[in-house]
Amino acid sequence: MRWPRLVSRLFPRLGLRARITIAFAVGALFMAIVLAVATLGLTRQNLLDQRESSARARTYQNAASAALQLPDSSAGEDTPAADPTELLESIQTPTGSNPVLVVGDRWYARSPEFGEEVLPASLRTTVRSGQPALMRFDHEGETQLAVGVPLPSIDGAYFEIVSLGELEQTLESISISLLAAALLSTLAGAGIGWWASRRVLRPLRGIGDAAHAIATGHLETRVEASTDADLAPLADSFNEMAIALEERIQRDARFASNVSHELRSPLMTLAASIEVLENQREDMPIRARAALDLMVADIERFQQLVEDLLEISRFDAGVMYLDLEEVRVDELVLQAVQMSTDVDVPVDIDSDLAGVVVKADKRRLSRVIANLLDNAAKYGDGATRVELRKRGDAVLIAVEDDGPGVPVDDREAIFHRFNRGSSAGHRRGIDGVGLGLSLVAEHIRLHGGEVWVEDRADGQDGARFVIELPAEAS
Amino acid sequence: MTVGTRILSVEDDERIRTAVKLALEDEGWSVEEADTGEEALNAFQRQPSDVVLIDIMLPGIDGFDVCRAIRRVSDVPIVMVTARADTHDVVAGLEAGADDYLTKPFAPKELSARIRALLRRARTSDAVSAHLRFGDLEIIPDEGVVRRGGEEIHLTKTEFRLLVELASTPGRVFSRETLLERVWGYGYFGDGRLVDVHVRRLRTKVEADAANPRHVVTVRGLGYKLQA
Repeated sequence: MRWPRLVSRLFPRLGLRARITIAFAVGALFMAIVLAVATLGLTRQNLLDQRESSARARTYQNAASAALQLPDSSAGEDTPAADPTELLESIQTPTGSNPVLVVGDRWYARSPEFGEEVLPASLRTTVRSGQPALMRFDHEGETQLAVGVPLPSIDGAYFEIVSLGELEQTLESISISLLAAALLSTLAGAGIGWWASRRVLRPLRGIGDAAHAIATGHLETRVEASTDADLAPLADSFNEMAIALEERIQRDARFASNVSHELRSPLMTLAASIEVLENQREDMPIRARAALDLMVADIERFQQLVEDLLEISRFDAGVMYLDLEEVRVDELVLQAVQMSTDVDVPVDIDSDLAGVVVKADKRRLSRVIANLLDNAAKYGDGATRVELRKRGDAVLIAVEDDGPGVPVDDREAIFHRFNRGSSAGHRRGIDGVGLGLSLVAEHIRLHGGEVWVEDRADGQDGARFVIELPAEAS
Repeated sequence: MTVGTRILSVEDDERIRTAVKLALEDEGWSVEEADTGEEALNAFQRQPSDVVLIDIMLPGIDGFDVCRAIRRVSDVPIVMVTARADTHDVVAGLEAGADDYLTKPFAPKELSARIRALLRRARTSDAVSAHLRFGDLEIIPDEGVVRRGGEEIHLTKTEFRLLVELASTPGRVFSRETLLERVWGYGYFGDGRLVDVHVRRLRTKVEADAANPRHVVTVRGLGYKLQA
């Protein structure tokens, strides 16, 4: 937890997944560095120890054999003595190892580059004072190991200078490998972090997808129950929430539907009774007649409202079914306009629309057109014309009016429930509750089409409501 | 023409029943009431009415059963009243034998118009012959008689008018709209299911095999026609 928190403080803008990945990578890098340093240190120590002990052993051995072959300074001249130079040549040494012999004050070296002057003075002094010694030193950029053994019998000493350059090279290539390994493990750490965070976040993504599905209306969406002890509570509580939401929405939809249904019976009584009264209208006093007219008008409005609410609750409950059939669109629009209250609206039909067929619920689509005409009458000073056009594979039905038009900002909201647009409310004598256009939108959506409002085609003031329906291939 | 025409109104809500009765009486019909299915069947048995108006949602014997029971003994026009037009209620009611339907709340004037349309006699004036033959099918419009293989078939008034309408121009394809207008008196926005269900009912009576109709044929996308 510490790492991701630190990472999140350092990179507050990064997503959880990136932060986890970075935390894994940094952790892996840190581990790799620690391991590399330790490995390198230990290896170096080991190799050095090994080299030193073998060099020491060999030097002692070689020193002993040299002492045997050289004349004892305390002995007489008769002892056959070997020539130090020849002796040096005969000494077995591995490559890179240079023997140096000193007899009395004379120095002999097998290799002219590695002679007395190469050996550090302190080492020479120590050895010449009778102490065997071992020293590492730099010579021309290369580490050298020198072992010195005093040979008191000949008043001399034997040295071997061993180059450690090869060792340094080995260590260098080891450290390169370790660096590469560190990089690789960092990458691997990042990869594991990426993968692990994906695994960890997968259930969250599932829940996110489910929430999106619910938001777009698929209320029955649930997330899969998890067997993981850490995730199960999340999945469970999400599902509980989804169930509660669905129940709540269904209850609301049922409520609206039930209320509207219950309203039908009193409305039926009212509709029949008002007709009886209307039959007597001529015999009524003038005040009673005025009251009757008000009742007739409002009962009609009441009926329309109940119808609209029922229709809306059907959409909400997902039980709106269209009675689809293939309909000639020109015929339908003409009939719908004829059925509406605004019979005199001119209908302008594209000539290539003759016989074009759409799949539609005739009565619902005619209600939609009637709604647009009503809307034009209420808010747009009456419809000026109805236009029918073919555009590609689609049919456009447009209703234009003479009103103030719809401000750009209202053009979407106007299709929402109980919304009449900001300017509509200021107009006097307007009735209606703002369900008409939302029903239009829902019906057209169910027909697989689209509806929108725009400026009038001729540039005059006024709104132009356009319905686009897919035409059937003929 | 409507004077003396008796309507049996079956509705369990007393206020609706009374208001509808008042309005229908204003239209000149004489109305008899029943508040349950049982009472409706008893009343119909006592004295058959000329038209029956049934609310589908009845306690006890429901509207569908009342419809079927009356259909067994009579070809009287039946109008049913449903709560909603988009449910299976409409089709189920028509299949139970109803001739037409209305959705609550309806205007009684609209109901009167529907009743008048249902009581119209078959349009015999158009028929070229008083005796029409379609293979084994024999129609005598003036007498209201249909025979298949010499045996008389019993049709309701609406089924008979539908058949005579189709027979008026043999072989011609009638669209649902045309049939709705001529038989039921509806305009462009009438419910096509009326035609479909009645054609189905008609086939079970006039066809030897209703699943493979020979006489009342569907012309896809266009409508129906009658052939020999």
